[in-house]
Amino acid sequence: MITHHPSDFTLARLAAGTLGAGPQLVVATHLSGCPRCRRGLRSFWAVGGAMLDEAAPTRLSPDAFAQALRRLDETDPPAEPAARVLHPDLPPPLNAYEIGRWRFVPPGFRWRRLTLPESPDANVIMLKIAAGQPVPHHGHSGTEYTQVLTGSFTDSLGRYRAGDCIEMDEEVNHQPVVDQDGECVCLAAVEGRLRLSGWIGRLIQPLIGI
Amino acid sequence: MSAPAPSADDMKQWLKAVAEHEDRGAFGRLFQYFAPRIASFMERGGLNAAEAEEISQETMVVVWRKAALYDPAQAGVSTWVFTIARNLRVDLARKASRTSAGVAAMRELPMRLEASVEDMALASERDARVRSAMATLSPEQATVLRLSFFAEKPHAEIAKELSLPLGTVKSRTRLAMAKIRAILERDQ
Repeated sequence: MITHHPSDFTLARLAAGTLGAGPQLVVATHLSGCPRCRRGLRSFWAVGGAMLDEAAPTRLSPDAFAQALRRLDETDPPAEPAARVLHPDLPPPLNAYEIGRWRFVPPGFRWRRLTLPESPDANVIMLKIAAGQPVPHHGHSGTEYTQVLTGSFTDSLGRYRAGDCIEMDEEVNHQPVVDQDGECVCLAAVEGRLRLSGWIGRLIQPLIGI
Repeated sequence: MSAPAPSADDMKQWLKAVAEHEDRGAFGRLFQYFAPRIASFMERGGLNAAEAEEISQETMVVVWRKAALYDPAQAGVSTWVFTIARNLRVDLARKASRTSAGVAAMRELPMRLEASVEDMALASERDARVRSAMATLSPEQATVLRLSFFAEKPHAEIAKELSLPLGTVKSRTRLAMAKIRAILERDQ
C-alpha cells in the first residue's frame, strides 16, 4: 500500500508543466502506480482548464485564423513517437527511458544514470543500496524527489516502501537507512543540479561528474 | 462587441463537428474562443506575444487533428485544450523538436490508466465543480495556486507576493495546496 505521495503543490506544478524534467519523470513513475495522485493530477488539469476559460482574451494578429487554416492544409502531422518498453521489469514511463550500466562505487551501493532525450541536462539516477546501508541524499540544492521501486528504507519520519514517493527539502536533515530485510532500488532527481551529501555522496559525486 | 461565452455543450458539439465532418465553421468558433485565451495564458506564463500566438496557433492545429481523440468522459473541452497547450509549451521550453517516447508515455499515463467506472462518471462534472471550488479560495490560496501554475521559481515569488520569509513559504504552500485539493475534490 502506498503511504507517501508527492505534495499537492508538486502535482499542481506537474499539471501546469512547471516541474523540472527530472522530478517530472520520478513523479510520473509514482503516478503509474497511484490512482490517488492520478486523480489529483486530473483535478489540477481541470484547474488549468478553468484558468484558460478565465484568461482575458488577447488580441491576435489579424490573419491569425487564416494562418491556422493554411497550416491545417499545409503541414503533415508529425509522426507520433513509437511506443516502446525498454525495461519490462520497470513501471511506465520509466521503462521507456535509456538507462546506463550499473556502476559500483562503495561496497553495498550501485547507481546508474538515466538519459532523458527531452532534457539532456536533467540528472536522474537509479540507486541500488544494500540492506542496512544509508541512502545518500543531496545537500542545499532544492527539493529531492525519490520513488521507491523495490525494497524499503526508514528514517525518523517513517518507513518508505515500493510505490512510495518522498519529497525531501534541503533543510530536512534526516538520514534514511535501507531496512534489514533486503536491498532497495529507488529513482532520484532534484530540481537543478544533483548534489549528494554524506559519505557516499562525497565518494560518488566526482564519479557522477555533476 | 464580443460574442457570449459558449457553453460546455457548445464546445463539445463544435469539437464533434470537427472530428466527424472536418467542419471549418465549427473550428472557427473554437479558434475564436480558445486562441486568444491560450495566447493570453502563455503571455502570463512568460512568453512574448509572438511566441504566445505561435503556441496558440499550434494548439489549435493539434485540436483540429486530434479532435476525434477527445473523450468527453475524460475531461471538459477547456481542460483538454489546456493539456495540449501545456505540452506544446513544455516542448518549446526544452527546445524539443519532437516528443520523446518517454514523454509520450508520461503524457498518456493519467488518461490511459483511468479504469474505474466511478472516475469516468465524475470526469464529466469535474470541470464545473473545480470552477465553483476555485471561486471559494482565500486570496492567499488563490495566489499560491496561480503562482504554482505560472511562476518559474514559485517559492520565491510566493514569498514575495505574500510577504512571507522564504523559510516558511514551503510549509505554507503545502498547506494551502492540500486545502485547495480538498476543496477541488470535495464530495467525491
